Amino acid sequence: MVNSNWLMVSQVANYHLLFTIYHLPFIKTMTRYIIRRSLQSLLLLWIATLIGFSIYQAAPGGPLQFMDDDPRRNAEDLNRLNRLYGLDRTILVEYVSWSFGEDWLPATPFWQSGRCMNDVQNCSRGITRLDFGRSFYFQGESVISLIVERMPATFLLAFTSLVLSAVIGVPLGIISALTRGRWPDNLIRVSTVVINTVPDWWIGLLLLIILGGYLQVVPLSGMQDIGDGSFWDRVHHLLLPAVVSSIGGWIGFSRILRFEMLEVLNQDYVRTARAKGLSQITVIVRHVLRNAMLPFVTSFGSIFLLVLSGSVLFENVFSWPGMGRLAYTAINARDYPLMMALFVIGSFLGILGVLMVDILYSVVDPRVRYDRQRV
Amino acid sequence: MAQGTLALKQANPEPSVQNIQTQSYWGGVWRKLYRDKITLFALCLLIFMISISVGAVWIGEHVLGFNPTKTSLRERVDPPTWAVDAWPQFQDFTRTCQSETGCNWAQSGEILRSVGTGLRTCVAAGLGGCHWMGTDQAGRDVLTRGIYGGRISLRIGIFVAAVSLTLGVFMGLISGYYAATWIDDLINAIIMLLGSIPELFLLIILARIFQPGPEGLALLIGIFGWTGLSRLVRGQIFSVREREYILASRAIGSSSWRIMLQHILPNVSSIIIVSGIFTMAGAIITEAGLSFLGVGIGPPLASWGNMMQGSLGNFTDAPWLVITPGLFIFLTTLSIYLLGDGLRDALDPMLRTK
Repeated sequence: MVNSNWLMVSQVANYHLLFTIYHLPFIKTMTRYIIRRSLQSLLLLWIATLIGFSIYQAAPGGPLQFMDDDPRRNAEDLNRLNRLYGLDRTILVEYVSWSFGEDWLPATPFWQSGRCMNDVQNCSRGITRLDFGRSFYFQGESVISLIVERMPATFLLAFTSLVLSAVIGVPLGIISALTRGRWPDNLIRVSTVVINTVPDWWIGLLLLIILGGYLQVVPLSGMQDIGDGSFWDRVHHLLLPAVVSSIGGWIGFSRILRFEMLEVLNQDYVRTARAKGLSQITVIVRHVLRNAMLPFVTSFGSIFLLVLSGSVLFENVFSWPGMGRLAYTAINARDYPLMMALFVIGSFLGILGVLMVDILYSVVDPRVRYDRQRV
Repeated sequence: MAQGTLALKQANPEPSVQNIQTQSYWGGVWRKLYRDKITLFALCLLIFMISISVGAVWIGEHVLGFNPTKTSLRERVDPPTWAVDAWPQFQDFTRTCQSETGCNWAQSGEILRSVGTGLRTCVAAGLGGCHWMGTDQAGRDVLTRGIYGGRISLRIGIFVAAVSLTLGVFMGLISGYYAATWIDDLINAIIMLLGSIPELFLLIILARIFQPGPEGLALLIGIFGWTGLSRLVRGQIFSVREREYILASRAIGSSSWRIMLQHILPNVSSIIIVSGIFTMAGAIITEAGLSFLGVGIGPPLASWGNMMQGSLGNFTDAPWLVITPGLFIFLTTLSIYLLGDGLRDALDPMLRTK
């Protein structure tokens, strides 16, 4: 169905598949936008659970692959384990019981796993009720409690580096834009390019060798010294990991801000403000920064995501006891329930972050397009 | 090129008809590149890195004299041969720094002298006489492995660039062509999905489950890297399609696909080239991360990432295991970035006159 008159396509009326609510006349455009973005995010989250679930299914040899390493395994054992974990059910039933739980399903081998049929207490309650099953590697510990245990460490690192990215990146971007073409700008741009050419975690390793190994001004690993949980000790441990994992963030922030400020600096209203005799600082803060900040807000979502997914690398380099390190353990031990849970929760955090930034942006910027983007 | 009559200084000299030189687009690009010394330097560096990677087997056999997979139990984690004397001294020195007395700076002269003697003996012994960058945990020569690692890392970079360029251009053209239909919505949804899940995490899981070779890994990385280019191409289509020459082309009866391929694609070619170059650098860094975590390229093959993999336990005792692969990555991606930067300027006709 090639639309021969595709140049005119932009004139075609907008259509929407699911969102009848969206067309109700008494709902304001912005509310509609928020509803639509939230529904989209729900859809994305559902697709993410599908991807997470297919990790389980796509694994060559299945989730019980680790049995291949056991010389004493036999078909009987495999069948028993398959029944116990409910892996002999159809994929659809498995997905339903993974996402919504199996305690409400009929107690037949077609619907329920062996563990659930043996004891109602062991029934999976589904990821919608925050039951991600039990870990293979950590000897049957509940996956969600493993993750919740490590979440604060990851969030501490992620938010500190987010704040640091803004604190370092914003001044650099402003200086760079204001001194465009002169040496501070050149210095900042060259150094960001050079820093960008090596992996961030490699810089972390180098700094760890020099500062942690030879000079011993920062600790080599962990979140706190054993037996010492004081505030300064925590800050001391947090310093290097946070600075290193903020590298990508502040480079991004300073580039975006430089670009946006240069755009705004050429606008007529800035010239007007200057002509009125306002001081340089007033012009920059009140007129330039306020307008240049808007695209800066959107980049928070992607930077948050960058920090989140980078945590696998940084937390390993710095032995930081967070979700990223847990993910590394899970992946190496082929702990599928843990992997799936970490992926789904990571996607949830990412989708939530992007959604919140989008909504914030639509509230802050009156010019935002509420309709489907047709440019 | 001013003729005698025009040599007078004028505020706005009007070019005479004879003075206007015709130059083709690519001719102009080449001329601009030729004048840009940094870009030329980057190009030479990149060519150098590529050629030592291509010639790694020959270099390993005839110049350095080491086999990248030959292990030696006696030479495990040896410091670079030129630093055999200096390395223990340096460790002593750092130990004094950690003690309460403070650094014993008197030792630094001694360390420098040992390095000097070591370097002189090494240079006298020829390129093949020394482990220039030390050995790793299995006693393999790190420099040889670094050169071999370039084969994998650069191949992955080029593959990933090819995959993401193909996907990005295709998806961008399709979503621009079918704008505001369900196909466009679908592609936007995929982009949105890829933009809001932690990609590195999924990549690590997939690489762990499927344990792909270099090509498979490149395919995996490439599948996650096309979204930016696709958006650029789509946006470009929107900005170009209202132009007069498109209208003119339609008026003489060109089909939509002809317009797309003949008029729109050439307009985005510079974006595609530059984006491909940056994708390549990004892919090399991503691959290094994956291999560092032990899910990318497996052990017998050397890649810059997996050379650092084993170093986590003892990096203060053997920093050369971390530094050498990092330097290789640095040189390669720096040359790629600088080249991309120079090309972006050269390919943009608007900038060329400045």
